[in-house]
Amino acid sequence: MEIQRIMTLVEASYQTRHIIEGALRDIDRRALNAMVLVKRHGNALAGYGVVARAFREGAADLKEAASHMQESMAPLIQAHMRILQHRSYAELFRRMRTEMAGKGLLCPTLGCTEEIWAQTIAAEESEALNTLYILIRAVNRIQEGIAEQEYVVTNGRIEAALSEDTGAPLTRVSRDMGNAVGIVRDAIRSYRNQLEELLHESGTGF
Amino acid sequence: MKAAPVFEQGDHRWWILHDQDEHRVIDSNVYVMESNAQSILLDPGGFEIFPQVFAAMVEVVQPSSLQAAFVSHQDPDIASSLPLWNACNGKIHWHIPKLWEGFIRHYGALDAHFVSIPDEGREFVIGGRKLEFIPAHYLHSSANFHVYDPEAKVFFSGDVGAALLPPGHSAWVDRRDTESSKAFDEHIQHAKFFHQRWMPSNEAKKDWITRVSQLDIDFLCPQHGAIYAGPNVQRFLNWFDALPVGTALSAKHA
Repeated sequence: MEIQRIMTLVEASYQTRHIIEGALRDIDRRALNAMVLVKRHGNALAGYGVVARAFREGAADLKEAASHMQESMAPLIQAHMRILQHRSYAELFRRMRTEMAGKGLLCPTLGCTEEIWAQTIAAEESEALNTLYILIRAVNRIQEGIAEQEYVVTNGRIEAALSEDTGAPLTRVSRDMGNAVGIVRDAIRSYRNQLEELLHESGTGF
Repeated sequence: MKAAPVFEQGDHRWWILHDQDEHRVIDSNVYVMESNAQSILLDPGGFEIFPQVFAAMVEVVQPSSLQAAFVSHQDPDIASSLPLWNACNGKIHWHIPKLWEGFIRHYGALDAHFVSIPDEGREFVIGGRKLEFIPAHYLHSSANFHVYDPEAKVFFSGDVGAALLPPGHSAWVDRRDTESSKAFDEHIQHAKFFHQRWMPSNEAKKDWITRVSQLDIDFLCPQHGAIYAGPNVQRFLNWFDALPVGTALSAKHA
């Protein structure tokens, strides 16, 4: 695996984590605002109250799913950095063997050492692949949570249309909710693409 | 390895990366300073702990923000990870004691971009903020530097202030009651042998204390052990002042 590919993933992990952290805080705030608005209008907004509660619960689920994803990022990065480290050893032995061969010298133990490093790296690559699968599963959970939230947002828009006569700014509230969910959706989709590219380059497709 | 904030004011931040998981090599702290989305790594650590340090760093700063690294002296726990960092980001400028350049190249990465620090030290600006590379020669290495951030009042003290602590230790010498010296007194027991044995020169120590005492320091951050904050900074300077160092030599003559 090219180091530049790994570095691109590392950058994407950092950015995704920060975008999602900010957007989840925003979602939570929007959900709370909606609940306060409903409470202020009493029974007239009972329908929207259900939406607001569901949105808040969904926000908590998303937060938990995001924390699982974040926990899985560091092991993947660490696994690839370990591979980089061990490749540098393997490369050292490869160079030594090549230089000696250029001088007509053969050293079989160097070849053996190189082979041991190759095996170690292969085992670590397989471990990194497992870690990647765990991360993709965590991303799946977030995407499921986003789909749920989008469903709640759609219901919120319907309820907002039905409650227009109450004068409460529900349409704006629903739009803000939708925007906040959209930020997470786009960030996670782009991150998933990156992970799938890495998976593809690891020689394993879905 | 964990990342913990040391200082934060707007876009100016310091973190410590501490408590490594690999216990076969000496436990080391790595510090990261970020200013205006540009960051510098201080004593990036040994080859063996590189994967942990790298993953912990990504928790706190964007990897592409890393513009520079500071190397206080030549030891392997300080800079043997250099070729791996260089493989990840060849644009890092390595601020290195001039005296040790040719030695540090032995770690690999002959193409790494080195920037010499002369014996008298110098200033460095990153993200619009000034850092001072303060000479700390013979503490313990013959060409050794510390880093002072006058705005954050953070002083990175390399091996000075180091303590050999058990795994799972806190990033800080207990700060709950800094008026009392109890936590400091307990902690400093773990620092005594380190300073007596690794620091070779009482003269260098006295000179360093005289210069560093004139700086306004809130956080004294060593490369091993835990951070001294508030009144513990002065407690440490007093303790170090009174401690005879270079004990292997006196033991030989005894």
